[in-house]
Amino acid sequence: MSGGSARSLGKGEACPPRSAATLRRVSGPGPGGRAAPERSHAGGSAPPGPVPEGLIRVYSMRFCPFAKRTLLVLKAKGIGHEVININLKNKPEWFFKKNPFGLVPVLENSQGQVIYESAITCEYLDEAYPGKKLLPDDPYEKACQKMVFELFSKVPPLLLSFLRRQNKEDCSGVKEELHKEFSKLEEVLTNKKTTFFGGSSLSMIDYLIWPWFEWLIALELNECVDHTPNLKLWMEAMMKDPAVSSLFIDPKAFRGFLDLYLQNNLEACDYGL
Amino acid sequence: MTDDATRTLGKGSAPPGPVPEGLIRLYSMRFCPFAHRTRLVLRAKGIRYTPVQKEFCKTSSCKGHLDLEGRATLLECGRLDGASSKPRHEVININLRNKPEWYFTKHPFGQIPVLENSKGQLIYESVIACEYLDDAYPGRKLYPYDSYERARQKMLLELFCKVPHLTKECLVTLRCGRGCADLKLALRQEFCNLEEILGYQNTIFFGGDCISMIDYLFWPWFERLDVYGIADCVNHTPALRLWIAAMKQDPTVCALLIDKNIFLGFLNLYFQNNPDAFDYGLSC
Repeated sequence: MSGGSARSLGKGEACPPRSAATLRRVSGPGPGGRAAPERSHAGGSAPPGPVPEGLIRVYSMRFCPFAKRTLLVLKAKGIGHEVININLKNKPEWFFKKNPFGLVPVLENSQGQVIYESAITCEYLDEAYPGKKLLPDDPYEKACQKMVFELFSKVPPLLLSFLRRQNKEDCSGVKEELHKEFSKLEEVLTNKKTTFFGGSSLSMIDYLIWPWFEWLIALELNECVDHTPNLKLWMEAMMKDPAVSSLFIDPKAFRGFLDLYLQNNLEACDYGL
Repeated sequence: MTDDATRTLGKGSAPPGPVPEGLIRLYSMRFCPFAHRTRLVLRAKGIRYTPVQKEFCKTSSCKGHLDLEGRATLLECGRLDGASSKPRHEVININLRNKPEWYFTKHPFGQIPVLENSKGQLIYESVIACEYLDDAYPGRKLYPYDSYERARQKMLLELFCKVPHLTKECLVTLRCGRGCADLKLALRQEFCNLEEILGYQNTIFFGGDCISMIDYLFWPWFERLDVYGIADCVNHTPALRLWIAAMKQDPTVCALLIDKNIFLGFLNLYFQNNPDAFDYGLSC
């Protein structure tokens, strides 16, 4: 952490990406006696207290693409929030009381209400909080965004499968399948003749699918969109969005995390802290 | 006989024309549980059924359809009578084993249900279709107004997500003469999770004391437990049995209940790979 001071989570802030020069692993509390606020909660940790009034809490993990969806929406809507990271390779027992599936992201508000499943958390935030609506009001346009979301649904497991197989022989089959899925998305953009999946401005569906494309950039796999020019243009347009750019994943930290994660290393989730 | 008791359209059938104003069209199949969800919501929202205009249903020889004069009469009624400017729906059943070529222009993989409105807009995926109807049509709201309660219903849907596959697997396995003890065990576990929710909430229905969207989204598979031969899977879940009983008293559910003998007749033909299965039980 640059400067070494333990930074408490400010309202509405996610911690800025770390520069390569300041990446180092700490195994205990940082200087000042306080644990790095981003450090994940693991098995044996004490459950957190109630959520303060005026804030919403998100249980997350720094590199989880599903949780990234929720963080993007929180940022885009300017919602005051606090983040508690969970060690997904060594989950605290109390976390299963928040979400019986034990997955991130999970939202918890000051009334103790809990919402999980990334797409549900995003829709909840859009409905419950004022400001710019990310989902369209028009019932058909809203349904279209959900249909595109379904169209996208094969990409996350495919991409993960692709990353697991890198440097191994049978990569080409998965790569071909991935191209097929990207072509479907390309077709949507081609038919709509708009930059974004919901129209001429960025909206919910763009944020929901973005985190996996962010992975492509972080892993220098941009060639995956060589055959899909509209998708490529969409990625470039997304990078200009303030929420996307402020939360952009640190490529070095991500690669470090991914290596450890694929080896089921318990420290993976805190890589770079 | 339920509203949608019309012959399926198959390969070689002429494509239906555009959907008339004031109407929404559902592409369906009488025994499909996913389409059943959409039919329940159409009924619950008061979007009344109307038979398809004969000129759009060229392969039908059903005497129940309107002739050209009847059609004109219907349109006049719609315009003159303020009360029947209420929204309506029509149903086109699809032969899923012999799909019409034109149907792939409605859904890329030829699946049902699909909604088509008078603007030619197409909506598919049963849950998306149901939400669209709730949003687009006035009157009774099936999803709660409160954002948290809405989110809760969507989380419950996730809890339910293994049930369709498991019930289908049980059916197929039993029909092939094999035992399905493992599958039934897995299904019972899913039902236990739902039982727990009802116990924790201490409400009759999944959304509270009144029936709502989530109950309609679950219902089709529970209606089929008996005819699939796996009704004993709710033996250890009393709250779920109470919910089933309460659902059977709901007017919407009641109106669309599928006759057991007709369903069995369909299943027999279906598992013999008979393409006429989907029209089983139609009198015309």
